[in-house]
Parts: sequence; C-alpha cells; structure tokens
Amino acid sequence: MRSIVYYIREFLRPEWLKKFFFAKTAPLVTPSYFKDYPTLTDKECTGCFSCMMICPAPGGIEVLRRKDQWVPEIYPGHCIRCGLCVEACTEGVLTSGRILDVTRRDGTALRSWYHLEVDDALCMRCGNCCVSCPINKQEDPQLGSTGTSSSDEVIMRIEGGRVRILHEEKCTGCKTCETHCPNGAIRVARMVEGAHEEVEA
Amino acid sequence: MSILQDIKNAVRSRSIHVSYVDVGSCNGCDIEVLACLAPRYDIEQYGIYVHNNPREADVLLVIGSVTPQWVDKLRNIWDKIPEPKVAVAIGNCPISGCVYNRRGSLINPPVSKYIPIAAQVPGCPPRPTEILSAILSVAPLIFKDYEESKS
Repeated sequence: MRSIVYYIREFLRPEWLKKFFFAKTAPLVTPSYFKDYPTLTDKECTGCFSCMMICPAPGGIEVLRRKDQWVPEIYPGHCIRCGLCVEACTEGVLTSGRILDVTRRDGTALRSWYHLEVDDALCMRCGNCCVSCPINKQEDPQLGSTGTSSSDEVIMRIEGGRVRILHEEKCTGCKTCETHCPNGAIRVARMVEGAHEEVEA
Repeated sequence: MSILQDIKNAVRSRSIHVSYVDVGSCNGCDIEVLACLAPRYDIEQYGIYVHNNPREADVLLVIGSVTPQWVDKLRNIWDKIPEPKVAVAIGNCPISGCVYNRRGSLINPPVSKYIPIAAQVPGCPPRPTEILSAILSVAPLIFKDYEESKS
C-alpha cells in the first residue's frame, strides 16, 4: 500500500509530468569541424586545376573563367564532401571545416607528378610521341623525325629501336603524345602522393 | 470549414508517415536514415513515423541511383502511396548518380525521370539533421490545405 502511494506521488510531481510530456532532444547544431561543401576564401585562384583533377566524384568541382579570374565552383548534387580539393589546392582558395588548419599544423601536402608508361607490346617504334612532345622540341630543336636525339635533356627518345623515357619530371601532362600515338601505347598518368614534412621537435 | 482545416493542418504537421526505398546505393544513406531513428536524432519526437509499407506512408524517401531492376518497381511503390504524397531524394545518388555515374555502370539517374521529386537532399551521405529538416520543411507545404487545393 505504501509503495502504491509513493508511486502515485512520484508520478504526480509537476516537473516529472512536464518532462514526460514535453521532453525533446536539444536541437543539434552542426559542429564547427564538420567538413561541409568547400567555400571560397579571399585568396586568388591561379587556374591550375589540381582540385578538378583530384576530385573523385564525377562533376563535383569545376574551375570556371569568370570575367578576368578563375573561380572554382562546387556542385552540391555531385560533391561528396571528401575535402580532397581543399587539400590539393596549393593557394588555399577553398576551405572546409578544419582541413586547412590540420594540414598547416601537421605540415602535410599532396605532391603530384606525371608518370609516363609505354607498353612495349603495343609500341611500334614510330617515334610520334617523341616528335610531337612540345617539351622535347624545346629541349632539342634538332630532334630527328624518327624520334632519335643526341641530347640527354629530352623527356623521351627512340634509343636502340624502342622508346626510352629519360626525364619524366619534365612532363607537363599535356597528353600530346597520347593523342598522337597511333596504337595507344603511351600513357600519361597523374600520380598523387601524400607528403609529410619533418617537424622539428 | 476553416477551423476544421486548421485542425487538419495542425494534425498533419505533427504526424508525417515516412517510408524509404533503396534503389541501388552503397547503403551509406540508409545508415544516415537509420541514425535519424536512433535516440541521438530521434525522428519520432517531431511526429515522423517510419514504416516499411508504402500504403501507410505520406513521404517516400528515395535513396540510391536507379538500377535497371528498380525502374518499374519504383513506379509501383510510388503508385501504392495514397494521396497526398511526396517524394524526397536522399543523397547525391538520386540527383546525379554520384560516384557510380561512370562509364560501364548499370545506373540510370536522376530519379526524377521516374517519379516526381519534391525535394532533394544533396550530400554523400547527408547529415541526419539535413534529412530531418528537409522532411519537416517539405511535408507541411504539400499537406497543408490538401483538400482545398485538390478541388
């Protein structure tokens, strides 16, 4: 009997009744570190397109020419909010959450280069790639029409009946060699690697 | 008449029945919808109830880029929902196909080609709060004064 009275009194407390009928989860606010869609900072875009090249979602970001400056634009229906464009930008044009702070604190960056690969089974040693390459033409104006060269400074040359790649690091990724290869034997791939600076303790 | 309509509007804004269908996604958005049901976001405190039956639902959450097997079945599900009804696209997939929209993939976005979509929640996946606020903002617009707008 006493316990029944106790329970009735317990449940008739006004604060208990109020809590029972009007309890609500506190409205949730988006935390400041949430990686939302990247927004523009006041830095100027140089139009290097590294954000477009690293974007894993098709059509997520586009760098557009607006009047006399480049402007990166994010498309919300396509962007997956991975934040790679924010990390890839060397100028800090984009920002999202605390990505920029963390990369600055840890000294991390994304390093990219172009990797040239020739499939020897497909290559028929015509030398079109070496002749069409604009950097080759700059380095050695005497480059032969078959792709042979006496200069060691060219990106690639025909040597002993096959293509030899000498200076991959000079490649600018224009893919002229790829479009001029009749067999699709040469491939230009953009490689990206995470780099971490040594931090002095 | 207007008092009755006011009561109906008030009731409908506090009783939104939701059904969800996954038409070929990675299940990331399903997990976010599931998180809405969990105590942290607690979808039922806003009067939103989740069913697995389209005949009980007012709002259909469409998740995923549309695969060929779902093209006719999605239409069937949509026809089963009683009027007034509304469809909300959750995530990037129903809008653009997201990362699946590549050569060689068997998808056919956007979902608005098959059923009328009233609202889209972009994100891969969207936050549960974004899903919640989308349902809460779109449902009263459709269901308010439904009988009057029909005639």
